[in-house]
Amino acid sequence: MTITANKETPLGEVPRTQQARKRPHRDSQLKAAILFLIPASIGFVVFFAWPAFRGLYLSFTDYNLLRPPTFIGFDNYVAISTDPVFWNSLKVTLEYVVMNVGVQTAAALALAVLMQRFTRSMVVRGVIMLPYLIANVIVALVWFWLCDYNLGIINAALDFFGIDKVGFFGNENLAMGTIAMVNVWRHLGYTALLLFAGLQAIPKDVYEAAEVDGAGEWRVFRSVTLPLLRPVLAFVLVVTVVGSFQIFDTIAVTTGGGPVDATRAINYYIYQRAFERLDFGYASALAVILMIILAAIALLQNKLLRANESDLER
Amino acid sequence: MKTNRVAILTLAAIPLVLTGCSAASADSAGGTTLTYGLWDANQAPAYKQCATDFHEKNPDITVKVEQLGWDDYWNKINTGFVAGTNYDVFTSHLANFPEFMLNQQILPLDDYIKADGVDLGSYQDGLADLWKGTDDKQYGLPKDFDTIALFYNEQLTAAAGLTADQLNTLDWNPDNGGTYEAAIAHLTVDKNGVRGDEAGFDKKNVATYGIWMENSGGADGQTQWSFLAHTTGWEPTNGAWGDEYNFDDPKFQSTIDWWYSLVEKGYMPSFEAQTGIGWSDQLTAGKAAMASNGSWMTGAVFGAKSDSFTPALAPTPTGPSGKRASMFNGLADNISAGTKHADEAWKWVKYLGSIDCQSVVADAAVVFPAIPAATDAAVAAFEAKGIDVSAFTTQVDDATTFLYAITDHRSDVSALVTPAMEAVMSGKKKASSLSGVNEQVNALFK
Amino acid sequence: MTIIAFKASRAASRASREDDPSLAKSKVAKFFGRLALVIVILITLFPIYWMFRTAFSNNRAMFGEPLSLLPVDFTFGPLQRVLGLATPEEALAEGGSGASINFAQYMLNSIAACTLITVFQVTFSSMAAYAFALLNWKGRDKVFAIFLIALMVPGIFTLLPNFVLVKDLGLLNTILGIALPTMLMTPFAIFFLRQFFLGINRSIIEAAVIDGATQWRIFRTIVVPLAWPQIITLALLQFIQYWNDYLWPFLVGQTEDSKLLTVGLGIFKSQTPQGNPDWAGLMAGALIAAVPIFILMLVFGRKIVGSIQSSGVK
Repeated sequence: MTITANKETPLGEVPRTQQARKRPHRDSQLKAAILFLIPASIGFVVFFAWPAFRGLYLSFTDYNLLRPPTFIGFDNYVAISTDPVFWNSLKVTLEYVVMNVGVQTAAALALAVLMQRFTRSMVVRGVIMLPYLIANVIVALVWFWLCDYNLGIINAALDFFGIDKVGFFGNENLAMGTIAMVNVWRHLGYTALLLFAGLQAIPKDVYEAAEVDGAGEWRVFRSVTLPLLRPVLAFVLVVTVVGSFQIFDTIAVTTGGGPVDATRAINYYIYQRAFERLDFGYASALAVILMIILAAIALLQNKLLRANESDLER
Repeated sequence: MKTNRVAILTLAAIPLVLTGCSAASADSAGGTTLTYGLWDANQAPAYKQCATDFHEKNPDITVKVEQLGWDDYWNKINTGFVAGTNYDVFTSHLANFPEFMLNQQILPLDDYIKADGVDLGSYQDGLADLWKGTDDKQYGLPKDFDTIALFYNEQLTAAAGLTADQLNTLDWNPDNGGTYEAAIAHLTVDKNGVRGDEAGFDKKNVATYGIWMENSGGADGQTQWSFLAHTTGWEPTNGAWGDEYNFDDPKFQSTIDWWYSLVEKGYMPSFEAQTGIGWSDQLTAGKAAMASNGSWMTGAVFGAKSDSFTPALAPTPTGPSGKRASMFNGLADNISAGTKHADEAWKWVKYLGSIDCQSVVADAAVVFPAIPAATDAAVAAFEAKGIDVSAFTTQVDDATTFLYAITDHRSDVSALVTPAMEAVMSGKKKASSLSGVNEQVNALFK
Repeated sequence: MTIIAFKASRAASRASREDDPSLAKSKVAKFFGRLALVIVILITLFPIYWMFRTAFSNNRAMFGEPLSLLPVDFTFGPLQRVLGLATPEEALAEGGSGASINFAQYMLNSIAACTLITVFQVTFSSMAAYAFALLNWKGRDKVFAIFLIALMVPGIFTLLPNFVLVKDLGLLNTILGIALPTMLMTPFAIFFLRQFFLGINRSIIEAAVIDGATQWRIFRTIVVPLAWPQIITLALLQFIQYWNDYLWPFLVGQTEDSKLLTVGLGIFKSQTPQGNPDWAGLMAGALIAAVPIFILMLVFGRKIVGSIQSSGVK
């Protein structure tokens, strides 16, 4: 019965039929809603909305943090449009997001299904959560060492088997991919557990029916598991994509944007402009653009995923 | 469920009570408390001692010394300026000095210096000038300096048949690298034990590099190439607080081309191969025989002595000018403009710049204090630890140092030049491409 | 537990596994499935093992044998450095920084801050999620979309304004100051809970409304208990996230009373430019810092996954 309710769009509204039933109570629910929303609204306005508006204002100024901002209109935005580092940062960030979200979601899904179908051990669940317990920065440092060209065990192993060593973080073409995989390593277990929770919600009788039908593993996954997982999958995708766009820690600790801008993702570029080059107005303009991009992506995801609803009742 | 939530909420209330308690830590009875910041953990004990000694001499002033690692330190300082929560006095660096000075975030000290008769000539030559602003005012008293030298593994050089004398008298030129390159080549060993200057050297399978590359050096190459480029007569800018950079100078570009040629010959790791664990760990691990770096790293490198690693120092090679060269970086303490205790802050700064405090710092054998007598004490302290630092001090004694190039827009210059340098050191572009970047850099000043 | 009881419980779980239609049956599938899980576990654990190996190594000697799989020159020194039991001389001798670390105090600070944030944030966010999922009022989904935009506000916008605000409120260097910006709500928390609240059976709620129950009563006595596993999951995930947070607690809490564990462990990071981190101390610190949240995960983990299967998801 829950699954019926999940027929709603992953991010969206309640179907009209249920709304119609509730109409007589609408007024009292608004009052209640307001009361329920007061603390969160205060938090939203004070700690998110106001800083965002202030950031928007700063994007139209020249501000070096050490003196009050001076208004310069759209100059920052114009400069951004001709800034090759900016366009590069978008390209590089996109590469990262696609690799990170793609691999992470697919692997987490596979892992969640593996846990669902092949083992119920608490030990496995505990183990895969371990990477998430270590701080991002430390994870990056450990992998920085493991992948080191001269002192890292991975390259030592490659060398041992006669394979050419690889500059994981130092090679322009591989650096972003390496950073993506490091973050996959850290977040895989966490994402898998979220999806696992969603999988647990699928009623057992559905699997029974599939078994009776003689369906193989892959068929079961494609026609049973995946469709019923959609709502949770949608949530995970939105959050992971938005989070990926804001990648920072790993880059700061390992490549610092290099080699030659290959890993200068947009959030890192924003930080450098703001705190290293003390060009806070420009950085704010970059951040506004980032926000717009994220909002557009979230909207797009909403539309795409709306087309597919959870469909248990077949 | 209900009791659970109540229990949890009570539990959450405890921190609130605790915060209430901690907020009640007001200033100590009477007197002023100054906050002082620095980044080098190895120097913190010495400065804490200075703070104690200072308090004895000035009982109504207490100095709280706080140490944060390099990255954290500058985060704190920048945020501190914005929010008005900065240290009263803080250890400053020439890279950030222009921005602080031009935005009037630090106090000029001339009036205090005159009133108390502080002699700026009592410091090593040139250090006090480094801290003069564009308004010709003095913003800091020199506190310590550092120079560059070659760190090497004596076990590897001995195995290569190179004596300390030879290493102390290397020469270099951008055409064939002189005995400097010869030494590096000889120290490079491939997997089969063939040396870099012997037949059959396999540059694709190097076991130990003659010299390490610690990233591209960015816009100043303090520890990477500045000590070579300057021996050609090259100047990075047109003077202190200059407005023109000279990355298009052929003397500079030929130096960089030579430096990259070491990668091509297999004597130095490629940019790709050096991205990772830092130079001193690579040196310790025997992946490099030599590396050029600054005197502030002496303690760390010599502390890593082991069965396979015997650290030693040699001065940088002499160049076409016939002399050596080393960047002379001087640190000083700045007073935040937002301080509420300017007079007391000055007393502390004066103490920091005095022989009393600098001798304490000298004895810690971490850096070279700016007052010559204290410098000598530091050299002696290093010697007591078995470390011969003459490779660093010879640059000062022979007056072969050059000053860190101070200009405005330093961070923008760095942001433009660093990727360009990385492109060159990755082999993607020739050093001549730096002329293009130079134009962009100079455009910042127009 | 007697042998007999043990064997009985094993037989029971095996039986339930055999009856569980969602578990795979085919032996081939089982083999490959288990193999895949083993590979995942190995890749997950190896870097963590590397951290352990480094945490018990002597920093000075360590890079003499950079590829050794066992600790180099086994020592408890790093552990002592982290727990604040080593004298500055001992610390410096092994390549540590000699700065002091008041481990117990920082641990308490972290526990206080994270508990404060988690408890209040989850409470207020679940109230907001209730309003967005189970109450009906005009403009509900639009307001939710606005709250969701807060997910995309870049960190650089919120960092300085929040810092200035906390300072103006006189809350610098207090636990409350650290907790404040995220204590009222985060968009992630609201989003997460709202998705799960959507899945709650409406008829129970409607019945309670007809009975004349207030919204608060429904929330407290029906919805919260039903969604308790999800709420606990969220609380756990958020606690872990704030436990490992660095930049914000660093800026706000610099006194002994307010320094969090991650900030305190910052002394093991590279202290000077061109310098290297105290690897052994850093790894030991990261591992020890992970222990409290590991315990938390064990304690609450069972509750989460166990009850997800029997939650209001009927």
